[in-house]
Amino acid sequence: MKLTVAHDHQLPAGVLGLALSPDGTEAFAACADGTLQAVDPTTGKAEPFAEKHHSFASGCVLLPDGKTMISGGYDGWLLWHDVATKRCWRRVQAHQFWNWQLALSPDGRHLATVTGQYLPGGWKYEPAQETEPSVKVFDTLTGEPVAAFSHGPPVLSCCFSPDGLHLAAANMMGDIKIWKLPASADGQPVAQWNSPDFTSWGTTKTHHYCGGIYSLAFSPDGSTLLCCGMGPMGDPMAGNGKMTWQRWNWQKGERLDQIKDGQHGTGLMEAIAWHPDGQHFIMAGRQAQGTWNAALFSAADGSLVHSIDTKKRITHARFTADGKSLILAGANGQPAPKNGVWPPWGRLQVYQVES
Amino acid sequence: MKPDSPSLIPGQCATNEHQIHRRLFLKGLGGGALASAASFAGLFHNPVFAAETKKAQKHCILLWLCGAPSQFETWDPKPGRPGGGPFGSIPTKLPGVHFSSLMPHCAGIADKLNIVRSMKTTQPEHFQAISLLQRGSPERAGFTRPTLGSALSQAMGQLDSPIPNFILLDPIPGGNEFESFKAGNWAGWLGAEHAPVRLGGDYTQLVNAAAATIPQHDLESRETLRRFLTAKYERDRSSTIARSQNAAFERMKGMTASADLFDVNQLPAKDRERYGPGSFAQHSLMARHLVENGAPFVMVANGMNWDNHVFQHEIHQMLVPEMDRVVYHLVNDLEERGLLDSTLVIAMGEFGRTPWMNQARGRDHYPNAWSMMMTGCGLKRGVVTGATDIDGVDVIEKPYNEQNLFATIFTALGIDPYAEYDLPGMPTFHRVESKMEPIRDLLA
Repeated sequence: MKLTVAHDHQLPAGVLGLALSPDGTEAFAACADGTLQAVDPTTGKAEPFAEKHHSFASGCVLLPDGKTMISGGYDGWLLWHDVATKRCWRRVQAHQFWNWQLALSPDGRHLATVTGQYLPGGWKYEPAQETEPSVKVFDTLTGEPVAAFSHGPPVLSCCFSPDGLHLAAANMMGDIKIWKLPASADGQPVAQWNSPDFTSWGTTKTHHYCGGIYSLAFSPDGSTLLCCGMGPMGDPMAGNGKMTWQRWNWQKGERLDQIKDGQHGTGLMEAIAWHPDGQHFIMAGRQAQGTWNAALFSAADGSLVHSIDTKKRITHARFTADGKSLILAGANGQPAPKNGVWPPWGRLQVYQVES
Repeated sequence: MKPDSPSLIPGQCATNEHQIHRRLFLKGLGGGALASAASFAGLFHNPVFAAETKKAQKHCILLWLCGAPSQFETWDPKPGRPGGGPFGSIPTKLPGVHFSSLMPHCAGIADKLNIVRSMKTTQPEHFQAISLLQRGSPERAGFTRPTLGSALSQAMGQLDSPIPNFILLDPIPGGNEFESFKAGNWAGWLGAEHAPVRLGGDYTQLVNAAAATIPQHDLESRETLRRFLTAKYERDRSSTIARSQNAAFERMKGMTASADLFDVNQLPAKDRERYGPGSFAQHSLMARHLVENGAPFVMVANGMNWDNHVFQHEIHQMLVPEMDRVVYHLVNDLEERGLLDSTLVIAMGEFGRTPWMNQARGRDHYPNAWSMMMTGCGLKRGVVTGATDIDGVDVIEKPYNEQNLFATIFTALGIDPYAEYDLPGMPTFHRVESKMEPIRDLLA
């Protein structure tokens, strides 16, 4: 399997969230200037939605009917937008702090959103306990909350299982929890474990935690869970932890495999996604050192199959339903303004996927 | 050294406090304390002298935000601008002045704080910038300028206090440029007796362990013998090294004698809870406690945790609220205890951070336009001076550099900022060179 760039587009601000129509002819971007943009992946023509978030827009999902897009933001709000008119028609405050990430159930009925502020909880800057439920599920039709779960903030990532019956969420400390849906009365997870391999505590320069699990994906058969992020660093400000993915048997909390030695560089990996064939997955992010920042891996043995260096930070990776295209969204480093004008720094790239 | 300038500088203490020390010193001698004159220690057994000295004592707490905080996520937010970041701004008690939404506590006491939004310095690298903002002047050949703590130790330190005159609370033993700076020469030409005593974290445990493991009578015997031998050695050899070693030992001895002041667990539980659980917050509370007990200068640092080239907003969301709470409680506590008028509180790093984001979710070093806070002794309250442009790229009003800042600090503490030094083997120099102006908007 091989990736070849087909289109490379710029957007005004860094892209933090991405949704695709099933046929891949429409892309939707949640951007760091708070805007939501409808983007033609072929031409790169972008059309902003009427309403923006009051902070970074952090995620967006497209409902299966293709008519409604829901966005989340660092303002803690969820916005329902009409794709045709670009108008916002529902606003729901989901959290007091950021929405870090959104996930849509496969049937489009439920939207999961995760939050949590990292605040000092101890001498070593262990994260303080949550002050509101860190994981919430909303009904996409009514906008009503249908479940709320407790987790350790900040919770950075979430995903639904392919059958929609389980929800996984992971945080900065590498704690992973999985709940059955509909939620049980006690709200307890059906599985939870910790992986210490994604979290840094500074020993050389600074005493606090950083990092975490930035993306999650159940395997197509639902039996395993992929996590990605960056390995521990002595100096958390270096950003040079090992590019890391791990695959877990979530029912046993047992690690099955992880990225192989010699196949990784360093840098934060923010995106992980399965190819529709179920035989490959992609991990992508930012490269600090190495030769790639997006790579395809074999599901069979976890070995690296193909890699590319996009020279930018990738925040999201989505395959089209037919598996023939891959959309990568992200950001360059933000350039300084020139004569008071800020150059664009958002990126959206389309790759052809060749077997 | 020429005497302090006879003309009063704006903001300088109007009292004759510096003369009080000398008068009380003579009074102590006249009171029959001649036997103590050799060490001055006897003066502090004179209750009149001790009380007056404590009353006249000036203090300074430097919250050293090493690594450099972002001005956008603290004192100079630019919400809605392309580089403004994800946090909003909130109104403060000062009409028209907004702070980052991460600082609700400080917003509520903005009328007690002073903000400089127009710091403009020249060093973009940590080591050089730390030196610049700690010494208040660029390097100059021929001598090493003392850091602020050392200069204040010399200018404000008590004669024979058991509490060290320059205390650095920093729990982090290792790490990058600040560690390199810490290993260098803090006191410069002033000499080792004005170097910092470093405590905090594991360092404090060493002090407590030393205090606990040696019986008092044993300590006294050792001390008598040590004094005899080292004084003889110093006298016979005129040894600078011996003097430095003795100075270091004296500081260590004082520190051990007051070990309880450095024990976080001895601080009131309610205060500890108010300040917050992190080491920076706990050490800031300890700084207040030390000042209450007479310490002239306490610097609180926490490694280089503000250097967020990576995860800027993910880490500032934690660091700024902690700093917000610390400044709020520290300023209020000092005010309630009647100490704010005699204690200068400064919160700053070595520069600011870029108005734009890098590819690693971070902000990089930016000395061109940044902010800091100072309040207390010798200063007005509720002043915001200087301004940056709409994106925070450059200073557009009242640029100030490190020399303006140090002239302000010395003036506020009643110390002649322009004192001239003409010492053997060194070029003629001044506490602040070139008669650089203090930030007059801030001076009381």
